[in-house]
Amino acid sequence: MPDTDALLQVEHLSHSFGGFKAVDDCSFDIARGSISALIGPNGAGKSTVVGLIGGALRNQSGSIHFDGHDISRMAAFKVARLGLLRTYQVSREFGRLTVMENLLVPPPNQKGENLLNVLFRPSVGRGEDRMLVDRAVEVLETFGLLSLRDEYAANLSGGEKRLLELARAVMAQPKFMLLDEPMAGINPALIARLDSHIRRLRDELGITFLLVEHNLDVVERICDRVVVMAFGRTLAEGRMSELRQNPEVVRAYLGGGLDERAAG
Amino acid sequence: MGLILPYLATLMVFFFIYNIFTWGLNIQFGYAGVLDFTFITFVACGAYFAGVFALGPGSKQTGFEWILGLNWPFPIALLAGAAAAGILGLIIGLIAINRLRSDYMAIVTLAAGTVIYGLVSNFTPLFDGFDGLAGLTQPFSQILPLNSNQFTYLWVLVSGVVMVVCWFIAQRILNSPLGRTMRATRDDQDAADTFGKDTVRVRLIAMSMGAVLAGVGGALLMGFIGAFSPAGWTSGETFVVFAAMIVGGTGNNWGGVVGSFVVAVLINEATRYIPPIQADPTLIPTVRNMLIGASLIVVLWVRPQGIIPEARRRLYQLPLRPGKPPAAEVESA
Repeated sequence: MPDTDALLQVEHLSHSFGGFKAVDDCSFDIARGSISALIGPNGAGKSTVVGLIGGALRNQSGSIHFDGHDISRMAAFKVARLGLLRTYQVSREFGRLTVMENLLVPPPNQKGENLLNVLFRPSVGRGEDRMLVDRAVEVLETFGLLSLRDEYAANLSGGEKRLLELARAVMAQPKFMLLDEPMAGINPALIARLDSHIRRLRDELGITFLLVEHNLDVVERICDRVVVMAFGRTLAEGRMSELRQNPEVVRAYLGGGLDERAAG
Repeated sequence: MGLILPYLATLMVFFFIYNIFTWGLNIQFGYAGVLDFTFITFVACGAYFAGVFALGPGSKQTGFEWILGLNWPFPIALLAGAAAAGILGLIIGLIAINRLRSDYMAIVTLAAGTVIYGLVSNFTPLFDGFDGLAGLTQPFSQILPLNSNQFTYLWVLVSGVVMVVCWFIAQRILNSPLGRTMRATRDDQDAADTFGKDTVRVRLIAMSMGAVLAGVGGALLMGFIGAFSPAGWTSGETFVVFAAMIVGGTGNNWGGVVGSFVVAVLINEATRYIPPIQADPTLIPTVRNMLIGASLIVVLWVRPQGIIPEARRRLYQLPLRPGKPPAAEVESA
């Protein structure tokens, strides 16, 4: 049942590293305007799926469609230009750029990135930058990072880097954000702030989210729909509260792999 | 007095040319993080092509043979040398940058440079092999017949003007959104990719523009000395430029000025004027190389960011928008 309102469609995706099948016939859809989660025990293939969607890995079989485009084997920067933006498990800030500069990198199609403009019409880039700075100030304000604008990104704390990643992503005006473990390694107070930011971005800017997340409480709180992966394929889909009752899901999380190996 | 002035003028010319080199390498490495271990090949490319555009035709009979030999005026030859170096930068960049990163990329540049070095020094019809190009008459000698000291002063002026142009090129790139994207690519290429930046293209631009500056410097060298041969661009020369850039500080062009003064003028060039010691003629060049290495170690130890570190950009001071109370700024939490 191909969902016409799906922003992202993953169909029969498979990917092996050497002889190991990390992803094995995985399929799911992500509805436009939703906040979804991709969960599963360690080794389920979640990160590989993220890599395949984001273009860091070229998939070996199956297809990925995003917003009407086949992005199955597309390079990462081209996928990004379609409005699909991913983050990484560890913060990947531009360390020797200031916080403000970090926000000025993402906006697409900057005229000031054209070499001829740079050499012969530097005012083009400067004028464009003034507008971008205005936008960046607003974004930094909403994320509470404005006072850090001139700090090198490398000097921020772990939590601040997470906020910076989200703020920076907003500047790219994406349609879809794929967050790989956004809550990993940050304190509960900041988790609450991050998830309210995610909900606000969905409500105000209509950005669709897919979170790969281990913190199931967060998933239950903010996600409309959850895809559970185990052994490289989709195990179940639904709301978190329903999935908690699903015996297969519970088994996958509580050492199902061990049971199976013992049985086999 | 009669000797001091031409001596200082000569040092000045080398200082100016080395500034152009360090800025070129800085565009590649300091801005975009492209580790180019064959920078000197682009210098040579600029020198050779400027040479064969400015020289008369060579021939096999005279024992001086080279391609082209167009007798064109020096300014055009300089531009041709710069363009040739830029194109070579693009070609080597396509091989090295397209699929590889960091150390692997650097090794490919080194390998490409070694291949080119072998080709140029052994294939005489190209640039007269290991003997190299020679016999370039003083540029502008038809309009301005000068003795050799006067020519040195003229070259201070010429290379000074060209250096200023190169400064503006390097600064405009650094302070542009393109330069910002280059620095972002340097800090994290994958992350820049995920923001839709064509990082391979960005790095190719940096590689090529850096090579253009190298070529300009090489062409100025050719015009000044009137000769150029493989002995002048052994791979070790690349590391003199690297040392200058790192000692001065990467990611900003004033660092290049300081570094090229300390390494390329004070240590490298100035020691050439110390009279040779009869007992051991190789002593002075050896001491020079040791001094360059030592300066690099001292800087990396004491001040790894270089004498002049990359400037923190506070281009975006508040208040940017009128009517917004500054209190909003303290929110943070």
